[in-house]
Amino acid sequence: MKTSARSSFTWRKVTENKLFFPLLALSLILLFDFIFIPGFFAIESRDGDLRGSLIDIFRNGSTVMLLAIGMTLVIATGGVDLSVGATMAIAASMAGILMNPSALKNEVFFVTDPNYTFQPLWVVIVLSLLVSIMCGLWNGVLVAYMRIQPMVATLILMIAGRGIAQLITNGLRVQITYRPYAFIGQGWIILPFSLYIVAVILLLTWIMTRKTSIGMFIESVGINFRSSYFSGIDEKKIKLLVYTFCGFCAGIAGLVASSNVKTSDANNIGLTTELDAILAVVIGGTSMAGGRFSLLASMIGALVMQAITQSMYAIGVPAFALQAIKAVVVILVILLYSEQVRGFVRRISSSKNEV
Amino acid sequence: MLRRINDFVSKNRNLIPLVSTALLALAAYGVGAYFFVGMRNPQVFFNLFRNTSFLLISGIGMTFVILTGGIDLSVSGVVALTTVATAVLLRDGWNPWVVILLMLAMGMTLGAIMGSFIVYLKVQPFIATLAGMWFARGMCFFISDNVVGIDNYIFQILGQTKILIPGLTELALSQGKPAPYINIPVIVAFLLLFAAIYVAHYTRFGRSIYAIGGNEGRNEQSARLMGLPVDRTKLLVYTFNGFCSALAGLSFSLFVASGHGLYASGFELDVIASVVMGGTMLTGGAGYVFGTFFGVLVLAVTQALIQFIGTLSSWWTKIVIGVLTLIFIGVQTVLANRKSGRQGAQTLQDALRKRQRLALGFGAVAVLAILAIVSSTRLGSASSTENPETAQCVIKPFREAEAANLIKDGAVIVYNRTAGPLCVDELFAIYPDGRVLGNDGVNNVESEVDPAEVDQMLSKISGDYKWFTDAIYGRYLTPCRQCFAHYVSVSYRGQEKTVSQVDGTASMPQGYTLTLALIRSVLPEINPAP
Repeated sequence: MKTSARSSFTWRKVTENKLFFPLLALSLILLFDFIFIPGFFAIESRDGDLRGSLIDIFRNGSTVMLLAIGMTLVIATGGVDLSVGATMAIAASMAGILMNPSALKNEVFFVTDPNYTFQPLWVVIVLSLLVSIMCGLWNGVLVAYMRIQPMVATLILMIAGRGIAQLITNGLRVQITYRPYAFIGQGWIILPFSLYIVAVILLLTWIMTRKTSIGMFIESVGINFRSSYFSGIDEKKIKLLVYTFCGFCAGIAGLVASSNVKTSDANNIGLTTELDAILAVVIGGTSMAGGRFSLLASMIGALVMQAITQSMYAIGVPAFALQAIKAVVVILVILLYSEQVRGFVRRISSSKNEV
Repeated sequence: MLRRINDFVSKNRNLIPLVSTALLALAAYGVGAYFFVGMRNPQVFFNLFRNTSFLLISGIGMTFVILTGGIDLSVSGVVALTTVATAVLLRDGWNPWVVILLMLAMGMTLGAIMGSFIVYLKVQPFIATLAGMWFARGMCFFISDNVVGIDNYIFQILGQTKILIPGLTELALSQGKPAPYINIPVIVAFLLLFAAIYVAHYTRFGRSIYAIGGNEGRNEQSARLMGLPVDRTKLLVYTFNGFCSALAGLSFSLFVASGHGLYASGFELDVIASVVMGGTMLTGGAGYVFGTFFGVLVLAVTQALIQFIGTLSSWWTKIVIGVLTLIFIGVQTVLANRKSGRQGAQTLQDALRKRQRLALGFGAVAVLAILAIVSSTRLGSASSTENPETAQCVIKPFREAEAANLIKDGAVIVYNRTAGPLCVDELFAIYPDGRVLGNDGVNNVESEVDPAEVDQMLSKISGDYKWFTDAIYGRYLTPCRQCFAHYVSVSYRGQEKTVSQVDGTASMPQGYTLTLALIRSVLPEINPAP
């Protein structure tokens, strides 16, 4: 969108745009798919709903996109939240146990009725999100008020969180058969329903950060929290807000993920997604040191991650081996953004100009 | 008096976490030995080391990395890769000694590559090592998808040689007990520990490590200005940690005698937690290698206690370790603030710190109180019901022969359910005339349903749920503590098929689940819940 012809259009301006590298990466992957995977771009309409590999990228990527929204803000304050995967599992377990509490009686009880639920849906959603907000609040208090390093503070919940999730479900995997709940992750209204959730959250966050001064406060805290404090910004409250919001996003992601697989499995829901989310943000060009951020770039980063996954599945790479490929991609991205490599490229190009 | 205590505490504050960890480990073991007779067995004590030798080896490397202010998340990946590569190379007939050397070289290479990313490209340690973990885990599955067993003679010798403890052997034999022993990986771990202590405290390299870490990276700059070889030291530290990970992987593969890419998942968290509990600051610059030993010991004792209590499930380990890590990090933060509080005596900040310290103290007390309440109720219930068969019930095998006889007698559906939290063993038979018979070996029950219903059920099972097709298959694993094992035999129109499953395993076929639900809906209860 930035490449539209302008009077001051220069190559340099394009390459320095935040969206340039993520978009370039995404288009490279899609080009690869276009060449090597026939029918990747085919979109068919089934009962008025659009389906196809391209739509699947968006649908399966919605979890990481949700996490990336919260993670972008956290990383912009110079922190990181490693506990989002565990928070997802906690929210999913909470939702599962509220809909099918038989696991508490130490027995797997086969509910097959698609209309059965123990609590009404709104109670399920509100309570699960409340629990995830509490998780975020806990991280925020540790980071902002106890002054513990973000990575360490969130590591605690990352270690204990899965244990807590298993405690909630009594260590069992809870089957979710309630159909309206399944709609969250599997429903379609022309496009997948989870995409609308992502869009709403993204819009809200965008308004919160770009139409109020909160966004600028976040960036200022990320660049230098001490000088922000002296210029009258309550950096502790900003940090608390950001971590709480990240927990909230992780809670929604947990609901989407559990409704997608129709079980709440404390061991596997959200496993290693925290890494995907962080990488999405890093690919989006937000510096891990904090400071300027771009929500849209993080969204594209999340899509890049999902597009890689999807195309690797399409050409038949086994799920576990995928990690190695992801690692190589990460290393390439790190190289692309690192100052040393950029300086090297700049030196080469400038010496060429001199010649 | 108070002042003297205060001074003493300030002077030796670096030792506080270490000493408290050591006391905690001993106290936890003492409590365990008081409640459970089994824990007084010396072999249980030595098993603490046998089960965690790889954790100790990896923790030593991690301590160095954390002392420089970095972190290494790749250890679990490297451990898994080592187990798989070792197993596959041994299967292909390589010389085991060559394999061991090769694995150590591989670990060092991976460590060096990650280290050079961190040192020369200024990538954050946590991202670089994360990529390393993914790479290593992914490579495991390029090598082999399945579990590969190790049945090499040398590896068997290394893994199973019993080293008796001098002095304790005669004592145990005089009491008629088997002599307690440790094994070779434990010896290796301790040798590495002593070498690491020497390196950390008595060499120039060790002093440089301490000089680099701490103070949010500002110390690194001062170390550089002092002319210390910062880059080389950091690179060496990550290489050493790669070596430790590979060694831990070898020790792990001796322990489980096989290799697979999913082994040791979440291992890095255990390692980091034990380093932190050992009193090493996560910001770097302060801590002792010897503390890591106690950190590992705390983790091992926690696991052993939870095993002994029996009614607690394994996930309590995670929660306890998380809480302990939190407390230790809190203590460290307080101590660090105390240190910096000496230099700038600003009244406002002092007040803030005091408040923070109070809040932290209250938080820790609250957490401990909750933990104490929970554990006391659990411990109480465990010790009050000391002898029941529920605590250690044995999973009964399916009564397959009896089930086959029932089918021969004309039953159309036979359903046997075992295991579960109370280790039930219920066998039901449904006859075409609507009789439902059940027994659990002690009690018998009988009930009646409409014969038409039985016929309807059968046609549904064979038609809708596709019982007699390949879509229904059995996958039997050992049931977990809460799960039931199901054995269903259906005979309908000359066809007969038996499938057994355990719930909680990955994927029960849809039709199987529905069949089970259908059958269970007509069964009477044998022991009505009180």
